[in-house]
Amino acid sequence: MLTHQSIHDVIQDFEQGKIDRRALMRRAAALGVSGTALAAMLGVGAVPMRTVAAAAAQDDTAGLLTTNNEQQGTWIRNFNPLLPENASCRWPTLHGIYESLGVWNAATAELVPRLASEWAFSADNLTLTFTLRDGVTWSDGTPFTANDVAFTWKLFKENDALPGNGARVVIDRIDAIEATNDTTVAFTFNEVYTIGLYDVAGQVIVPEHIWKDVADPVTEVNENPVGTGPFTEVARFENQIWELHANPNYWDEGKPAIKGLRLPAFPSNDAINLATINGELDWTANFIPDIESTFVAKDPENFHYWFPPLGSDVMLYLNTTMAPFDNVDVRKAISMALNREQMCDIAMFGYTHPADATGLSDAYASVKDETAAKAEWVTFNVDKANEMLDAAGLTKDGDVRKTADGKAMEYELNVVSGWSDWVQSCDIMARNLADVGIKVTVKPYDQTTWQTRVQNGDFTMSIGWSSGGPTVVNYYRGVMSSITWNEIGTSSSENWHRFKSEEADKLLTEFASTSDEAEQKQVAVKLQQLFADQAPAVPLFPGPQWGEFVTTRFEGFPSEDNPYAVLSTYDNTRGIVLTTVTPKGA
Amino acid sequence: MNYILRRIGFYLVAAWASLTLNFFLPRLMPGDPGDAIMARMQGRLTPETVDAMRQAYGLSDDPVIVQYLRYLGNLAQGQLGVSISAFPSPVTDIIFQGLVWTVLLGTTATVISFAIGSVLGMTGAWKRGSKVDSVMPPLVIFVGSFPYFWLATVALFYLSFQWGVFPLRHAYNDTLSPAFSLEFLLSVLYHLFLPALTIIVVSIGGWLLGMRNTMISTLAEDYVTMAEAKGLPQRRVMFQYAARNALLPNMTAFGMSLGFILGGALFTEVVFAYPGLGYQLITAVRALDYPLMQGLFLMITFAVLIANLIVDLLYVRMDPRVRAS
Repeated sequence: MLTHQSIHDVIQDFEQGKIDRRALMRRAAALGVSGTALAAMLGVGAVPMRTVAAAAAQDDTAGLLTTNNEQQGTWIRNFNPLLPENASCRWPTLHGIYESLGVWNAATAELVPRLASEWAFSADNLTLTFTLRDGVTWSDGTPFTANDVAFTWKLFKENDALPGNGARVVIDRIDAIEATNDTTVAFTFNEVYTIGLYDVAGQVIVPEHIWKDVADPVTEVNENPVGTGPFTEVARFENQIWELHANPNYWDEGKPAIKGLRLPAFPSNDAINLATINGELDWTANFIPDIESTFVAKDPENFHYWFPPLGSDVMLYLNTTMAPFDNVDVRKAISMALNREQMCDIAMFGYTHPADATGLSDAYASVKDETAAKAEWVTFNVDKANEMLDAAGLTKDGDVRKTADGKAMEYELNVVSGWSDWVQSCDIMARNLADVGIKVTVKPYDQTTWQTRVQNGDFTMSIGWSSGGPTVVNYYRGVMSSITWNEIGTSSSENWHRFKSEEADKLLTEFASTSDEAEQKQVAVKLQQLFADQAPAVPLFPGPQWGEFVTTRFEGFPSEDNPYAVLSTYDNTRGIVLTTVTPKGA
Repeated sequence: MNYILRRIGFYLVAAWASLTLNFFLPRLMPGDPGDAIMARMQGRLTPETVDAMRQAYGLSDDPVIVQYLRYLGNLAQGQLGVSISAFPSPVTDIIFQGLVWTVLLGTTATVISFAIGSVLGMTGAWKRGSKVDSVMPPLVIFVGSFPYFWLATVALFYLSFQWGVFPLRHAYNDTLSPAFSLEFLLSVLYHLFLPALTIIVVSIGGWLLGMRNTMISTLAEDYVTMAEAKGLPQRRVMFQYAARNALLPNMTAFGMSLGFILGGALFTEVVFAYPGLGYQLITAVRALDYPLMQGLFLMITFAVLIANLIVDLLYVRMDPRVRAS
């Protein structure tokens, strides 16, 4: 097998005069190195061959940052920012071409101003007023005003089928949206719901002067977008690649520092991983197994990653409508039988750490209650687990326990087939549970089938993600409130395990009825205590936010040393990253 | 003439049957497109957004039979509807995007594989026991029995990734734009080489063996012996008497595979990141994108039917016995 080293040896031989130029060319050709790449290498010595070859191939694309997130065979032209990303529009539509009033930054736990410069609730918390940034224009030169904001929200009032990325969540709680003058817009809620701030701020805004002529915003493909964002010029759009260049008149002077984005289509994870390891992607977000040796080792100077456990917790869901999982002690006993350290070390390659008993990931560090977090039932303790299961009347008969009505405790644990980190976690859980007398068979399903099953409550045990967002409400609403609860057989996007608590409902309403952060924190603590007490679902570990970057061409990406945003091409902070990175050495 | 009319009648019935299957089969899959989009976004969508998407997709609650009749009516007007996985782009636009590349890759690979396979099979049978005949059949069977996905991945890994002889992905160099220039055409050929080669390597065995076997039985026919006895030149006996007749069954199979090209070489396109229809089909199935699935299946079945019809018509020219009956 030929490696980087061998071409370097050849060059070294040449430089030391051991071989002549013709022999050099011949050997290089045998190694598959083109003349141009070779010429470039002769000047630079120590730079790995692959990087140089990639740079040489990108003469025409200098200054363009190559990135990706989704798997896509061919690109379909659609820049409608009111439809969900990946399903219809591409993510640079939401965070490059268009902008929202503000962006939630999970890395710094703050709402970052974008089109709005500031916002405030009225004394009764019913009216939320945004003051818009001065001097913002649409990419066609028309000034951006409060009327554009009011118009965008009017579209949601008039079109029930318009999904949006925030507006749909709160639209029914808002009575009126009024542009009081060119730079002020006021949202009047019909009940106090302060956490609606994040949804209102997160909704991207479209220009009234263009979209008022759009017949149906739901089926609009918006081929030639006009936006306020840092990247607005669609320079090329072909089915295997597209380019989005910078907005020359962006309101944030001097930004973006890069010429634009380049988005090749990759139909599979393997294709993305090959490109990543090859150093062709300047910025990407993939699960890469054993990343230190498979990726970083290729070029430790330039190949970097940062996997902060800021994503919401990965959970073990037990269907709480079924005995014995309706018993809180049984849920806690099962949790104590699980070796989370092993899951994190082996299945997750040490990228994350065991979850605590609040179910909250590291993104909520500032509100976390230490007492609730340390509840005993998330620590690995087989003896205690056995003891609790015995006490719950699940007696051991041979290797397998029996429930009160004499049925053996044999269950299927559902997982998405091919998601190797989850499948391996499930294998570990199955072994752990066998040790306490519960026989578990790991059952992989195709992604959509798995989804349909959990949503309809058609499962006994399943691994799964949980919801996340700016406040703890986003998480707790999904695991223990009646808002997300549905009967078995009725599709439910959250609360798959079917658990509701009146106490939780009360606390969630209380949280949303104040805009005072100290008060909210007190409620958040109570929610954590309730979760730690009730164990509605079993948290396993916080999901790492995958993110890799290459500093051969660009620098200034967020990292552990400089955590100004989340390093993930799926996160809301993509726009912040893209306006912060600079060409190398600039 | 009668023969042709009968064939056309048969194809009309087959077309209706496949249209009906295209409608019902996708709907037998569990789940709904709303679940599928949630699965694809891995929970990053709010429930409210997904509900709005369900509404936007315009999935009807009418009885299936009403939906079926509406589907036939729309088809009659040439409307394939709007895609769900790439909402709201028309299905025809999406299919058109990948069609060129799929046709290019599929036709190149199939024609070359058929041509080389048939010639090798023919010469092998003509000179049984010769070097070609004793080496080629075992060799192509050996190579062809590797799982295609594995073979393609290994080829990509070594030839493209490790040694850099071939490109890693796509149908042409990303720095070029489609144009009628020599540079672009060369780039297309360069990117086509490895994907096509892997298909040829695994599919050539079928053609070779099929041709060799029928050629051997044809060579035993009296008219071949007669031709040799008449003292006709070897070349003429081989091509005009034996090969021409032995080719008939292979031609039928060739027609079929030409039709199947439009299904996209699924694995090839995924492994080599080739922007054809194969990946669209996977996306459509995963996203429960009924309209796109229907559109793609419709095109594939029609292509197979039309290719077969053409082969049937060619038969009339190639095989006088068909004309007589």
